[in-house]
Parts: sequence; C-alpha cells; structure tokens
Amino acid sequence: MASLSTSLNMAVQSLGADTAALQMTNNNIANANTPGYTRETAVFQEVSATSGDGMSSGNGVELTGFQSIRDELLQRQIEQETTAQSGANAQQSTLQQIQPAFATTTDDIGTDMSALFSSISSLSTNPTSTSSREAVLTAGQNLATAFNTASNTLTSQQTGLNTQVTQDVSQINQLTKQIAALNPQIAEVNSTGQDAGTLQDQQDALVLKLSALTNVSITQSDGGVTLTTGNGTALVAGSQSFALQTATGSDGMTHVLDQSGNDITKTLTGGDLGGTIQTRDTIIPGLLNQLDTLANQFGKAFNAAQATGYDENGNAGQNFFTVPTTVSGSAGSISMAISDPALIAASSDGTSGSNGNLANLSAVQTNTLPSGQTPGNAYASLVYQVGSLTSNAKAESSATTASLLQLNNQMSSVSGVSIDEESANLITYQQAYEAAARVVSTIQALFTTTMSMGTASAA
Amino acid sequence: MRVTNMVPDMQYAMQQSQQALASAEEQVATGLRVNQLSDDPSASANLTVSLAQSANVDQYTSNVTSLQSQMQMTDSSISSIVTSLNSAVTAGTEGANGSVSSAQRQAIATQVQGLLSSVVAEGNATFSGSYLFGGSEAATPPFVAASTTYTSAKGSATNPLSATTALTAGSVTTISDATTGKTMTFKAKAGDTIAALQAAVASAVSAGTLSAGASATINASGQLAIGTNNSKDGIVVTSNDAALGTMTAAANTSVANAYAYVGNGSVNSVQIGSDLSVATNVPGNQLLGSGSNVIGSLGSLITALQSGTTTDIGNAVSAVTAALKSVSQQRMPLDNTIGELESQDSYLSQEKVTLTSQQTSLVGANLADAATTLSQDELQNSAVMAAAAKVMPQTLLQYLQP
Repeated sequence: MASLSTSLNMAVQSLGADTAALQMTNNNIANANTPGYTRETAVFQEVSATSGDGMSSGNGVELTGFQSIRDELLQRQIEQETTAQSGANAQQSTLQQIQPAFATTTDDIGTDMSALFSSISSLSTNPTSTSSREAVLTAGQNLATAFNTASNTLTSQQTGLNTQVTQDVSQINQLTKQIAALNPQIAEVNSTGQDAGTLQDQQDALVLKLSALTNVSITQSDGGVTLTTGNGTALVAGSQSFALQTATGSDGMTHVLDQSGNDITKTLTGGDLGGTIQTRDTIIPGLLNQLDTLANQFGKAFNAAQATGYDENGNAGQNFFTVPTTVSGSAGSISMAISDPALIAASSDGTSGSNGNLANLSAVQTNTLPSGQTPGNAYASLVYQVGSLTSNAKAESSATTASLLQLNNQMSSVSGVSIDEESANLITYQQAYEAAARVVSTIQALFTTTMSMGTASAA
Repeated sequence: MRVTNMVPDMQYAMQQSQQALASAEEQVATGLRVNQLSDDPSASANLTVSLAQSANVDQYTSNVTSLQSQMQMTDSSISSIVTSLNSAVTAGTEGANGSVSSAQRQAIATQVQGLLSSVVAEGNATFSGSYLFGGSEAATPPFVAASTTYTSAKGSATNPLSATTALTAGSVTTISDATTGKTMTFKAKAGDTIAALQAAVASAVSAGTLSAGASATINASGQLAIGTNNSKDGIVVTSNDAALGTMTAAANTSVANAYAYVGNGSVNSVQIGSDLSVATNVPGNQLLGSGSNVIGSLGSLITALQSGTTTDIGNAVSAVTAALKSVSQQRMPLDNTIGELESQDSYLSQEKVTLTSQQTSLVGANLADAATTLSQDELQNSAVMAAAAKVMPQTLLQYLQP
C-alpha cells in the first residue's frame, strides 16, 4: 500500500539519481576538449513495481551506472588510418629534404653535365687553347662534385634515419608497457559488469599513439587488448609487454629485433617506424642505385671516349674520371683522374691541333648508356623519380589527413561531447532534481499536516 | 549526424585555405608554377632535358661566333694570297715582255720575291695562337724555309752513327719536300735501325713523295745527313728520335725561295648544331699545294725572271695563273661555310627562343592566371575565417544566459 514514507524514499532516490546524472554531465562538459575522452550517459532504470490490494504501483528510479558510448570499429579504422598517415609523413619528411639536391640550380648534376659538354664543344673551336682545356677540367670536376654531393645527401639522410628508428622503438616499448599495465585493471572492472570508461579511454589513446609508430594488429577482449605487429610479433598479451630491441646490422643500419633477437626489420610496415624503414631501406637505396649507375656508366663511357684519342703530348688518352669498378658507391666516389689540361684527349691523330676526338667525347651526351638511356635522359628519369616519390608521399599524407578528419568526425559524432547537448541535459537533470525536491517538500508538508491533525482536534 | 565539435573541421579548412594561399603567393612572387620537383615531377624532368638542349644551343651559338671570326680571318688571308698571285701574274707578264731590260727583270724578280714572302706570311697566319693553314699541326708555322741538307745532333767522327744504329721505337721522323709539296713520315718500330729509315727515304723517292736524289746517309762527321743532293730542291726534316737528336739545317744549305709544308692535311670539324658540323680549316698543302704548287710556281717565276728566257718567264706566269685558279677554287667552300654559319646563327637564335618558351610553359606561371588564383584564394581564405568567426562562438549557453 502506498504511503508518504514510500513516496519520500522514492523522491530521495530520484534526487540521488539526478545528482549522479548531473555529476556525469559535469564530467562530460569538463572533458569536452580532452583528446580520447568518450562521452558517458547515465543509465536510469525503473525500480520494480510493488503490488498489493489489487493494484500495482511504481517505486521510482534508480541509476544503474554510466555507459561510455563507443564504436570499436571506428576506433580500429582511425588507428589504421593514423598508421597510414604517419608512414606517409615519415616518407614525405625525408623526401622533402632530398629533392633540393636534384632541383635545377647552378650546380646540380644536369647543369654540370651540360657545362662539361659545352666546355668540350668550346674546346673544339681551339683545341690548343690552354684556358679552354682548363675549362673542361673544371667542368669535369664540378660534375664529379655534383655527383658526390647528391650521393652524400642521400646517404646522410639514410644514416640519419637510424636515429629515428631507435627513437621509435624506444617509444613503442614505453607504450606497450603502459598498455599492458592497463589490461588487468580493465579486466577487473569488466568482470564486475561495469563500464571501464576512463581506463578504456586511456588505453585507446595509447594504442592510437602506438598506431602512429607502427602497424599493429589489435584483438579486443574483456581482458583488455592483445597487440602484435603486422607480421605477428607479440607486443602485448595480458599484463605482459614484449619489448623490441635495436642492433646495428652488417650493412651499418639499425635493425629492429623482437624479444627473441629475431630480425623483424623487413616485416615492419606503416607508422613512423615503417615509413622510416621503407624510406631508408627501399626508397633511398633505389635512388642511390640509379645515381650510382648513372655516375658509373657515364664515367666509363667518358673514359672510353677519351681512350680513343690522343692528348696534347701525342700519347693515348688516359682515364678522365676515376670510377669504381662496381656500380655501388660510384656517385659518391667518382673523381677526376687527371689534373693536367694537356691530358685531355682532344686529338684523333696525335697532333696537338687536332680536335677529332672531341666529337667522340661530345657523343657521350647523345649515345645510349648500358642502362638504355642517354646520360641526360637517365638524369631526367632520376629527377622524375625523386619528384614523383615526394609528390606521392605528399598526396598520401594529404589523403590520409582528410580521411582521418572524416573518421574523427564520425567518432566525435558517436563518442564526442556536445556542449549544447550537455547543456540541455543539465537543464533536464536540474529540472528533474527540482521536481524531486518539490516532492520531498510536498511530502514534508503532508507529514506536517498529518502530524498536526490530532493537535488541531484536541485544541 | 550528431555534430559535437566543429573546431577540427574549421582548422582543416583554414589549413587548406592557407596552403592554397601560400602556394598562389609563391607562384606570383617567383613567376614559377613549379617551385620544387614534387609540384610537377614530369615538368621538372622535362625541364632538365630542355635546359641541356638550351646549353647546347648556347654553345653552338658561341661556336658560330668564334668560327665566324676564324673564317673571316681565313678568308682575309686567302684574299691576300689571291691578290699577291694576281700581282705576281701582272709582274711576270710584264717581265715576259721582250722589251724589258735585264735590270728591270731583276727588279721585277725582287718584287715577286716580296709577293712570295707575303704569300708565305699569309700561309703562316695565326688565329688565337693557332696556325690557320697547318692542318692539325697548329703549334708550328706550316711553311718553313727549306734547305738542301739536314744533319742529326747525334753522331760524331769518334762515335759515328751507322746503318745499324738502333732507332727509338715509336719515334717519328718527317721529311717535307718543298719541290713535291709532300711529306714523308717514318715511324720507327721496335728493332728498326737507321737502315730502315734509309730504305724508307729511298721508297719515298721512288713514290715521288721526295725529289729525285733525296737520300739519308752517314756523313764524314758520323752524323745522319738527309739531303736532296742538288741545290734547287729543298727539304725540312724533323725528328723526335733520341737516337738521332734534333735534326737541323746544315750551314749554307738554304734554298732560295723554297718553302716546305710541315703541317698536315687534317681538317677539324666543329659542331654548330645537333646534327650539323662544319670544317673549320683549310690545310696549307691543300690551299697552296693542291693541283699547282703556289709557292713553287712563284719560286720558278723568280728564277725565270732572274736567269731565264722570256719563254721560261711565260711558262712560269702560266704556272702562277694556274695556281691562282686553284687557290680561288679553294676559297669557294670557305665562302659556303661562312654563309652556313650566318644562317645557322639565325636558326639557333630562333631555337633558343623556342626552348625558352618551352621552359616557360613547363614550369612558368601564367601571371594572369596566378594573380586571379591568388585573388580567389584570398577571398576563400577570408570566407573561411569569417565562417569560423561566426560559427564557433555559437552555443546553447549563449541563448540560455538571462
């Protein structure tokens, strides 16, 4: 049977529920700008009705808990897109620093190559001119230096990325340690049937940071997350994290090893670490190989043309460039083999005034190298390659940024805090609280009336 | 869709707008559409090829300018030679007149000697330090006064050279004959001795390269003596063989009015276009020795004037006339080359303009378009900023305030 006491209890219970909801709203508003925060909603539940005297009456409301509004699928998509974006950014950052070495300036390879052939052509008008011969030597030296500079730019960038690999691995180890530490706490909360809320937010934020470093596979369970690298190397399982290690390989590069000491460098993809490794081990070596091939084949072709003629002293032409026998490292080490202008093999018959062999030297510009291209076209291909790689990395970065913005908007739509919405909730809960308080006040008045009923009759 | 926070969208829109604005400003400021390789990799690659072509065109143009000066100089020298030969024909014709006294003929002979000197001087003309008519032997005067005998520095009465004296492998000995206008070149092989050189001289005489009577012998002083064995044929001998030492003309053996050509017949070519080269020199033996020996004909005219009959003088004048005709013929290809250089100069100027235009279209910004884009991007940027300013302060709380 209904009573004032029952009504009062119901009103007090309602006050408690509304107070908790107001506190939750307050927390949502307070964390409106906190990265990774997932909004919570209050879960109200009707208290079971009681029956008696042929009638059933409600018993008010109770707050069963708070529920974080999550979308795990979106979260995983954001992590994947973050991995892609970081990888593209890592490549773009390095390539942006490489491309000036191949831009047209006063001392790039293309300009210096043209200058060498121009100096040869100029010498052909006066093959005995010492100043013209000096100009050929200077142009040759400039070209060798341009090859050296471009090669050094690539190799120094490559070496510099080793530091990045070490830093990334260190950060990955810190993050996996923190993620593993959260797993048992989340499992404990989940075991009580409660929402892990803040703990889950913290872990999601850490996993997102980890995704920015490398591609990870994530398995979510009540016990927390299990993380592996893309190829299956364990990073986190339960409360345990598995630290990666770094070691200098026989190639002089920093390699990444799993906890057992296996080299997993080649299997790491995506993220800053994956992008850095791909730039260091694939992109830069590819460019270096093209550059070395050009320097080696050009130097040898020029030397071969020089050998078909005679120098100013009537001797058979000797090497103009010093070129390594192997292609690797050619651009970095190509240098002038002669320093005496008289040793330029301009003559085709051994007389000092002949310019017959300069045509052979000039023909190196238009003849096809073993690579199948003329030197100029081979260099143009290299320029295109550098530009294209940089452009693609930029486009990838830009596309993933836009995609990530969209995914974050979707996530925000699901999990983000809307100040407007919370303001409305605030009013709703405030009004509910005020109404419950009014009920308490009303019941108090009724109690007073009831209590004074006997007193009034007696009087 | 539930919208909770518009700040990221606004920030992204502002970044995009500002990047576009910065790019537009850079294009207007630099005048370039492509400021780094990644802006247009294909255009950047094509630019390197185009710039290489431009550098070649610049060099071809420079070559043309240089060659024009050289060709003008060559033409001027040949013109002077033609003038001298014309004067020689006029003087010789006068000397062939039977009414001219002996003294007058001697004076005319002296006049022709002067003309011969002028011809030789023009034959030894230089341009930028190189002899114009020496073929590829550009470092030494191509026309050298001839002597009847040259002797080696090596060899003495006490330590004489002999037919069995070994020569230095790879050494070169040349004998240039003023009468035949030809040069014998002997390159010693390993194991060769002076006997091999003597045999080569004998063969050259048989072949007509050297005048009859020319020989290589060991003289009383134990030296190698290469001579013509008569007083009218002159030679010039050079050798870089250490076993022989320097070959020098023996004292009092010079032959009057005789000059041997010690250059060679090489013709240099210079590229003035991607597929176009021109010959840059006329070898002296071709100019003054082809068909008729110009110097020899003048020498013969001088000798005829000094001691010959009117018939001899007439014949000598005919020889000089033939030589004049030959020289004039040599001038024609040269004039063609000069014309070719002029037309190529004009072509290269156009080619340069074409390439520059190509480069501008590859990487240059169309300033009208760039300025319009800049204006649009400024407008867009302002609109984004205005939208952000209008939207971001909008919250429900604003309206709930009393």
